[in-house]
Amino acid sequence: MKFSYFHLMPWTGLDEAPGQWPASNRSFDPARGKELYDSYIDTMAFAESCGFDWVGCNEHHFSPYGLMANCNLVGSVLAHKTKSIKLAMLGNLIPLLNPIRVAEEYAMIDVMSGGRLVAGLIRGVPHEYIAYNIVPGESRERLREATALIIKAWTEPEPFGWEGEFYQFPSVSIWPKPMQKPHPQILMSASNEESAEFAGQHRAMMGMTLIADLKIAQRCINVYRDTARAHGKETTPDDILIGQNTMIAESDEEAKELLAGGLNYFHKVLMHSIRDAMRLVVQKSRFFAQEQYGERFVNRLATLNARSIDEMIEAGSVLCGSPKTVIKQMKRIQGELGNGRFNMNMKIGNIPDAAVRRSMELFRDEVLPEAAGM
Amino acid sequence: MPNFVQETAKLSTGTVTYLKGGSGPAILHLHSALGPRVSPALEALAARHTIYIPTLPGFNGTAAHDGMTTMKDLAGVAAAFVEKAIGKNCDVVAESFGGWVAMWLAVSRPDLVDQLVLEAPGGMRTKGVGGLPPDPAERDRKIHAIAERMPKDARYAEVLPGNFKAAAGFSGGETLDAELLKLLPSIKARTLLLFGTRDEVTPADDVGRRLKAGIPSAHLSYIYNAAHAVEFDQPERVARLVGAFLERGEAFVVRTADVA
Repeated sequence: MKFSYFHLMPWTGLDEAPGQWPASNRSFDPARGKELYDSYIDTMAFAESCGFDWVGCNEHHFSPYGLMANCNLVGSVLAHKTKSIKLAMLGNLIPLLNPIRVAEEYAMIDVMSGGRLVAGLIRGVPHEYIAYNIVPGESRERLREATALIIKAWTEPEPFGWEGEFYQFPSVSIWPKPMQKPHPQILMSASNEESAEFAGQHRAMMGMTLIADLKIAQRCINVYRDTARAHGKETTPDDILIGQNTMIAESDEEAKELLAGGLNYFHKVLMHSIRDAMRLVVQKSRFFAQEQYGERFVNRLATLNARSIDEMIEAGSVLCGSPKTVIKQMKRIQGELGNGRFNMNMKIGNIPDAAVRRSMELFRDEVLPEAAGM
Repeated sequence: MPNFVQETAKLSTGTVTYLKGGSGPAILHLHSALGPRVSPALEALAARHTIYIPTLPGFNGTAAHDGMTTMKDLAGVAAAFVEKAIGKNCDVVAESFGGWVAMWLAVSRPDLVDQLVLEAPGGMRTKGVGGLPPDPAERDRKIHAIAERMPKDARYAEVLPGNFKAAAGFSGGETLDAELLKLLPSIKARTLLLFGTRDEVTPADDVGRRLKAGIPSAHLSYIYNAAHAVEFDQPERVARLVGAFLERGEAFVVRTADVA
């Protein structure tokens, strides 16, 4: 089993939820922002000494939910602050961006880090399409074309042009090219069957988060495996990354209390304005090709929001407890899903940084020695 | 939509029938081994160009020309056609087998070729890489990525066996023309190489890269979501790119306000 340390870089300290989306930035304090960036980046670099295999960044817009509008900036800082941990950009929201710029920035991170990039080519969550004014119904085809273009930009030995549906670039020749050959590992989201099929078609690694039901998660993984096999890739557990909100403390009770507090802030404050925007996009666009996947997406978020910590543990949605408890939970999920990687988000909502660090230390000292052999 | 009319040109080696349509600067279009077809891309280009589509001797049931048996000979026929029917040097757009002829034309008569567009051209493929399968349905899938954009002309199926036979006769079954390969550096025309991202017949990482390395002023472009027959799979993209290349020369890489 391999482990990734993931960070959302949330804005903490809000007394009340922003009223509507996009969240007003009136209360953003740059000095406090600097403190948060310093603290978060130090914590992410600390993941290396805790034995994590990857450190994960991500991209979100227009909300205190996360301060990484461009995760590549954080990735480039981590390239210098770390030596061996893989830098997992999970990732750039490809349909929103200029794919050539993505190819360039990812190549820069890969070269600067000595070949440590894991390249997430991600469609993103629905409301981000309002932020960058991209037609949600084009998201899948934009991702498909942009993925092909990014790979071409990484691998083509001579200058080339691209004449596509969404992208036209008459003359491309990126400097630098990635260090990893033929190109960095690609990871795509597979949180629903539609996405799982897409990830399989591209023979990418798959990532899944916000699990509400292990049986549904298993179904997505089966779709991913079958599709990848049909496209010439025999997947291994290493190809399957399961994202989990995680809190490890000295006792189960302490961990549950910390996680409950963090999730309360996460759902009531950070997610408040996002939820309506997500629902709007899902209901008023073709973000999901099949209506049932849109309904499932909205229902999944509502289900997770309504559950107690114990219910979330039972459903396989979170890892929470003492080191021994968390190891048991990991084994159960691995047994159900066959994953070879966990992506652990420990800074959930406003959980204090000290508690997050303690959780990482307990992972290092008491979880990893046993869990690594899973 | 411009009307294409059939005309004939009497050359010293024999008669060539051709389709002519559109108005504006001349384009010589050299067809693939499938035979002459007016694609939607050519129809779009004909809005600003006069397009000449000769039926190469032996294709579509036409008579062979005396002594014309090789690819180099076909280039000679094409040169004579340009002189007779067009009357002066022109741009050349050629697909697949026709691209092979066009390269020989550019090598042997550089004075007749202004700019050159080679769409997945033949004659530059490593033996054993790509090619067409014998099964007709599988062959169609390799040529056309988008089945509903295949031409529906009934005559097409009727003449196809004869056209393949004619093409094989001229090419001698070779896939890589070693003599032509050595001469690629002598091509003076500014050249646009077009390959579909789904082309398994003439894969760009084999053929495209060889041509890019060989032709001094070659520009390689990918047509996204197209197989071998780029003019049919993605006519708008091909017309947009070829039109910009032919009309604006090296400045075609500079975006203008009217390019979406």
